[in-house]
Amino acid sequence: MSSESSKKRKPKVIRSDGAPAEGKRNRSDTEQEGKYYSEEAEVDLRDPGRDYELYKYTCQELQRLMAEIQDLKSRGGKDVAVEIEDRRIQSCVHFMTLKKLNRLAHIRLKKGRDQTHEAKQKVDAYHLQLQNLLYEVMHLQKEITKCLEFKSKHEEIDLVSLEEFYKEAPPDISKAEVTMGDPHQQTLARLDWELEQRKRLAEKYRECLSNKEKILKEIEVKKEYLSSLQPRLNSIMQASLPVQEYLFMPFDQAHKQYETARHLPPPLYVLFVQATAYGQACAHMKSSQPPRQDKTLSVAIEGSVDEAKALFKPPEDSQDDESDSDAEEEQTTKRRRPTLGVQLDDKRKEMLKRHPLSVMLDLKCKDDSVLHLTFYYLMNLNIMTVKAKVTTATELITPISAGDLLSPDSVLSCLYPGDHGKKTPNPANQYQFDKVGILTLRDYVLDLGHPYLWVQKLGGLHFPKEQPQHTVIADHSLSASHMETTMKLLKTRVQSRLALHKQFASLEHGIVPVTSDCQYLFPAKVVSRLVKWVTIAHEDYMELHFTKDIVEAGLAEDTNLYYMALVERGTAKLQAAVVLNPGYSSIPPIFQLCLNWKGEKTNSNDDNIRAMESEVNVCYKELCGPRPSHQLLTNQLQRLCVLLDVYLETESHDDSVEGPKEFPQEKMCLRLFRGPSRMKPFKYNHPQGISPGKKNSES
Amino acid sequence: MERAVPHAVPLGQMEVFQALQRLHMTIFSQSVSPCGKFLAAGNNYGQIAIFSLSAALSSEAKEESKKPVVTFQAHDGPVYSMVSTDRHLLSAGDGEVKAWLWAEILKKGCKELWRRQPPYRTSLEVPEINALLLVPKENSLILAGGDCQLHTMDLETGTFTRALRGHTDYVHCLALRERSPEVLSGGEDGAVRLWDLRTAKEVQTIEVYKHEECSRPHNGRWISCLATDSDWMVCGGGPALTLWHLRSSTPTTIFPIRVPQKHVTFYQDLVLTAAGNSSRVDVFTNLGYRAFSLSF
Repeated sequence: MSSESSKKRKPKVIRSDGAPAEGKRNRSDTEQEGKYYSEEAEVDLRDPGRDYELYKYTCQELQRLMAEIQDLKSRGGKDVAVEIEDRRIQSCVHFMTLKKLNRLAHIRLKKGRDQTHEAKQKVDAYHLQLQNLLYEVMHLQKEITKCLEFKSKHEEIDLVSLEEFYKEAPPDISKAEVTMGDPHQQTLARLDWELEQRKRLAEKYRECLSNKEKILKEIEVKKEYLSSLQPRLNSIMQASLPVQEYLFMPFDQAHKQYETARHLPPPLYVLFVQATAYGQACAHMKSSQPPRQDKTLSVAIEGSVDEAKALFKPPEDSQDDESDSDAEEEQTTKRRRPTLGVQLDDKRKEMLKRHPLSVMLDLKCKDDSVLHLTFYYLMNLNIMTVKAKVTTATELITPISAGDLLSPDSVLSCLYPGDHGKKTPNPANQYQFDKVGILTLRDYVLDLGHPYLWVQKLGGLHFPKEQPQHTVIADHSLSASHMETTMKLLKTRVQSRLALHKQFASLEHGIVPVTSDCQYLFPAKVVSRLVKWVTIAHEDYMELHFTKDIVEAGLAEDTNLYYMALVERGTAKLQAAVVLNPGYSSIPPIFQLCLNWKGEKTNSNDDNIRAMESEVNVCYKELCGPRPSHQLLTNQLQRLCVLLDVYLETESHDDSVEGPKEFPQEKMCLRLFRGPSRMKPFKYNHPQGISPGKKNSES
Repeated sequence: MERAVPHAVPLGQMEVFQALQRLHMTIFSQSVSPCGKFLAAGNNYGQIAIFSLSAALSSEAKEESKKPVVTFQAHDGPVYSMVSTDRHLLSAGDGEVKAWLWAEILKKGCKELWRRQPPYRTSLEVPEINALLLVPKENSLILAGGDCQLHTMDLETGTFTRALRGHTDYVHCLALRERSPEVLSGGEDGAVRLWDLRTAKEVQTIEVYKHEECSRPHNGRWISCLATDSDWMVCGGGPALTLWHLRSSTPTTIFPIRVPQKHVTFYQDLVLTAAGNSSRVDVFTNLGYRAFSLSF
């Protein structure tokens, strides 16, 4: 029922459901048209309280009617239907009133809402405005603080102090009248001045830069000039070579030598440098000489520089070769057995290989004899060897016994005690030798030269026995400290050997060459004569029965030279076995005697023989003669002859034997025997004659 | 004879010289210190070496103990004889006798206390003093040597009191016969002469070479060593080493040593020391058994 009624009133109701805006429009529509029924307007006119009362009344009426209907229905009857119908219509009317009231209520509600809404909107708009304004205020405040905080860049510039400013700035900038009072103007003025100054300085800077550029260019030009000078100087040097030779100042030659020296292995280089220095120092000392430098020591380098350079070629080529040759060798071993030994031999040769360069030293002695020393370096063994040769001004005729004196093999033997040069001084070499089956270097010294210890020292190589080092490097100071002593020893050695050489020639002819300044050591008449002088071998010396003492005392080494001399007088024969130490004449020759006369007498059975030996061996210092004491051996031999004379002449006559004494006493002796040992008068006091008198015995 | 030789050491000039010296060294004299701990030995170079007997004889003796404690140059010529008093060591060689304090002798640089030269007749040469003998009762020293005389020197005053002449050739050795007191001297002339010290006269003469048992004419007649203990005498040299009975002047025992001996000493009737031709002193602890040798 209600839906029907709503349908009827739909068009009017639709209009009243619109928004207040539409309501407004509706109002205006209503005003314009005046046809439509406007409930909104009615709402404004009606009183809500009365409507409420109406509502309550209607509800009551409805309730009443319903109750009546109910009653009527329950009663039943005929006229009930009409009454019910009547009531029904009434209730329908009430229902319609209710609906209207409902609609009115809704419209009122809506209106109320719209009004609230409007008011709210207004409040919102004001609120927004307020917020906007507040925001702007805040913004402005921020801006103000920013402005207040603003630091102008000009404050960061260190301006010159005020006093300076007023002093220096020109008046049109400083404008003192204006700026004094006004800080703002003052700052402006100062800034102006700053700017002015900076401009000036920038100007200066540019100027300086351009100057620098100019100067750099000039320098370039001059450098060019100088570098073009070098080739010209070289050409002058070349041109001056003939002049150098004329003036005996071979700079170029020395230069070339130094060039070659750069390719020397380190020990040879040390030797070269030290020897040259020593040679020059010696030459300087003799400055009284004319400019023609008297070279007692000259140093030269021999050998092939190219080979030396080739040693340092990169090993790839050689490795390839090796692998090729290995392959070849593998093939050939099947065919030829002996290659194994050949291989070992090659390995040995490789191990003992010498550096292609060698240093030659020529030592000239006073009598114009020269000792030529050639120093080699064995690369794999890290040792140096030397070969020696002595040449004399005049041709030497070598006596038979002097064969070993100047032989290259032994002339430098034991220059320092014990330095026989037959063993390698580098202990590490032993392991290398074991690998290739070399027993000792002795077998190869003839070919390679002798590895003396002094040679290693001259090359700066030091092989300490206690702590074997892995790598031994050549040391200049070691070489320098040994150079002078070694050179002096070498010279003494050559000269003493040459002196002996000459003396041997005379001894072989049976003449003891006593020089005139040594004659005072001996009496005028010496009857015993030297009849034989020969060399004997070391083994033969050891076999002799009267040399046992010397052998046991360790004085008969295989580095010594051995000789046999025979002195005779009448039936008496005196054999003297001589040990000549390579260190002659600082180390004296040692004599061992055996007298064959009325039996064999040696130092073991005759004290006087012992005394004779003592006179010659222990008292040798009296027999040295003038320095450099090359006369020692000959003086000792002469003394031996004198001693034999004394011995034979003072021998007491044995009463049991018939006949006169074989040797009449010719020497003047005060006493025939002396002391508990009954010594014969062996001491000779010049010119008192022979006596057992006091003489300074050696202590 | 064995020698310990350092073969490894290369022989420089010094080592060669020292080796030669040692080979040609002769020890002529020896003397034991009053305390008995040290032995002094003098050689032909004029050096005296002091050995420590206690160290050498001890059970822990090493090679080092047989080396001298100190060695010094005492005389210019050989030191032919030495004796010890209770405080001094007296050494004699070429012509003069020197005294050294035993207490000072072990210090380095020891200097002689005094030196004396007996009055010699000739001035052509200075004769050597071959033998020294102490006479403790008289506190005197007897020297004998190259001038064929025996000189007595008073040890307190240093003056030479007597000169005993009789030998025809130089005197080799002396011995003291305490009981009498007599001095025995043996010489180059082959005779052993006995002298009475109180009368300064020769009392007895034994010409050893005239006795056939001991004479060795091929050696000569000289007597080089003498020792006596008042009844007995041992002497030797050219003739063989013989033990004599003094009162009867007869030889009793002849020792079979071929080489002429230089020194012989009785020591507590047990030890017989004899030095030969070497730089060594052989020590015999029992008759005939050589225990060890001291080396210069």
